[in-house]
Amino acid sequence: MTLEIQNLHVRTEDREILHGVDLTVRKGETHALMGPNGSGKSTLANSLMGNPVYEVTEGRILLNGEDLTEADPDERAKAGLFMAFQYPATIPGVSVANFLRMAVNAGREEPIKVKEFGAMLKEHMELLRIDKAFTSRYLNEGFSGGEKKRAEILQLAMLQPDFAVLDETDSGLDIDALRIVADGVNAMRGEERGFLIITHYTRVLNYVRPDFVHIMIDGRIVQEGGPELADELEQKGYEWVREEVAASAG
Amino acid sequence: MPARNPAVASAVDSARTAAELVEERRRAALEVFEAEPLPTWRRSGFWTTSLRGLDLDALEPKRYEPGLPEVDLGDEEHAALIVQRGASVVHVDVFDERVTVMPLEQAAEEHPELVREHLGKRLPHDESKFAAGTAAFWTGGVFVHVPANERIEKPIQVVWLIDEPGTAQWAHTLAIVGEHAECKIREYFLAPDFEGQALHSGAFELYAHPGSHVDLAHYQDWGRGEVYDLSTRRVEIRRDARVKWVPIHLGGRLTKQTLDIITAEPGSDMRHTGLYFTERDEHLDLFTTDKHEAGHTTGDTVWKGVLTGDSRASYEGLIHIVPKAPEVDTYLQTHQMLLSPKAKGDAIPSLIVEVDNVKASHGGTVGELDPEQIFYMMTRGIPRAEAVRVLVEGYFEEVVQRLEDPGLEELVRRRVAEKLKGAEDQVREFIGERAEAA
Repeated sequence: MTLEIQNLHVRTEDREILHGVDLTVRKGETHALMGPNGSGKSTLANSLMGNPVYEVTEGRILLNGEDLTEADPDERAKAGLFMAFQYPATIPGVSVANFLRMAVNAGREEPIKVKEFGAMLKEHMELLRIDKAFTSRYLNEGFSGGEKKRAEILQLAMLQPDFAVLDETDSGLDIDALRIVADGVNAMRGEERGFLIITHYTRVLNYVRPDFVHIMIDGRIVQEGGPELADELEQKGYEWVREEVAASAG
Repeated sequence: MPARNPAVASAVDSARTAAELVEERRRAALEVFEAEPLPTWRRSGFWTTSLRGLDLDALEPKRYEPGLPEVDLGDEEHAALIVQRGASVVHVDVFDERVTVMPLEQAAEEHPELVREHLGKRLPHDESKFAAGTAAFWTGGVFVHVPANERIEKPIQVVWLIDEPGTAQWAHTLAIVGEHAECKIREYFLAPDFEGQALHSGAFELYAHPGSHVDLAHYQDWGRGEVYDLSTRRVEIRRDARVKWVPIHLGGRLTKQTLDIITAEPGSDMRHTGLYFTERDEHLDLFTTDKHEAGHTTGDTVWKGVLTGDSRASYEGLIHIVPKAPEVDTYLQTHQMLLSPKAKGDAIPSLIVEVDNVKASHGGTVGELDPEQIFYMMTRGIPRAEAVRVLVEGYFEEVVQRLEDPGLEELVRRRVAEKLKGAEDQVREFIGERAEAA
């Protein structure tokens, strides 16, 4: 059971951003994708989910062997893929609870029973230390940065996807909020699920320890390794990676 | 004569006067109607509402025998129900005997003082051709009176029904809510889908006396027939009274309406929240005024619209604060969402402030569905069509919830959902399939 990204080339209207990315995440694994701003990390995340702003010109995205490269975002979600957004959209007029119910039901044949849904929601909200009143607010409307991120992780917990991409979920969080979010993610980790954690900073990786680390620069993955690579990056910075890449190319 | 007789004599006197007033008004209005040319409304050079397509001479007031036609009103229970079909009031049912609900013709005879005091007070018979036409030709009509200090829980329902092409319906509603009374008034404008033209030329006036609370809604769904609606509705709110007004426009070939809400005395408060959904070749032209005639009054106006098909919708909302009305606190916002490449709309908020020391603000947006919102919802497994429906419903929800009437809210939600279903293909085309974008 894998999420496979094969030779992925992605462009927007004006330019190519990803120039052939290969990355495989197996169930039970947690991967970190690191890179400086503008390296193409969010483009990769959005392309995985089928954001129409991005066009895949070459390569494939396979989930458990199924080719999702051309699939609509809702089909990808049904196939087991999830993304926690860096900047989630505001959905006016739709409460958190109603949105969650809709999302949970979208992946089921029969609508979830009210009681079962309530119990599930309560459990996950307690874990993420989310106040009960939160669920009646319109999704992301007037939410603080931390509330938005928690709402994303709450969706992740409710939807229980096979593979989850976390796009800069750590950015903008203070230490307390980061801990809560990291605890939520750690509680979700296990044999049945794979994670791709996209981040600029190594900070989050102290709380969610990855099995593999990939470093992306200028639309390519330029270095890969175990968790120690993140530690090295922490000490030496992205300039070191650039120099390494330049040296090996030279 | 015994002492009590002068009062009786005066009542008889004013009865004659009220009936006479109506007749005089009719005569004067007829002159105006005949003198005035068919109007064309132009604004800012590019927006025109024209009645060229209307064959007015082919329309006539149609009379019907009494009987309750089948209508869908959302609310199951009511304090009173009055139904005018074409030119005839065909049904009157008053469950709550504290209220007076009857044809306006009858009220002119039976409640002459109330009629004389209020009829046309805020609706001059000569302000436009169709205002004059309505004042000259109305038949049946609706009169609502809630006496002072009464609290009427269930809604008072008024239905205007056009169920045959060729109908001219000249409509007048006079509603009076006494001091410190509380009530809900609902007017429905309904037509089944038919082929051919019809006209509803309407006048509505509500007088909310000091300290009263009125919850008012207008629900218009003229169906797929060619119904032209040319109406003026005016609400006067007196000292410390409060009116919440929710006009809903869900259908009509051409609608040209002037909706004015007037805080006339200190302490009066308005909540004005409107919704419209246009489709096919419908044309909607709304002009609303929040007029603050006194200081220490408050207002809050929100209008939201959605356009599909080839429809045209123009909403212009004016806040007008007259001189000598300080300490007004009011705002107006208007939003419009286009769901079709062929629909055209505009939403214009404007402000006339003739005094210092007020708080007044306004804002307007015309937009489309945000593709990022649709993408976001789809990543949660929600199909595109459902995402669109949810987003449009969510957009309207703020307005719908202000109805505070579960039955009517449900009716609005259901009709909006039906209209969206009908527009699914064009919406899909408009927001773009991913395959097409790629």
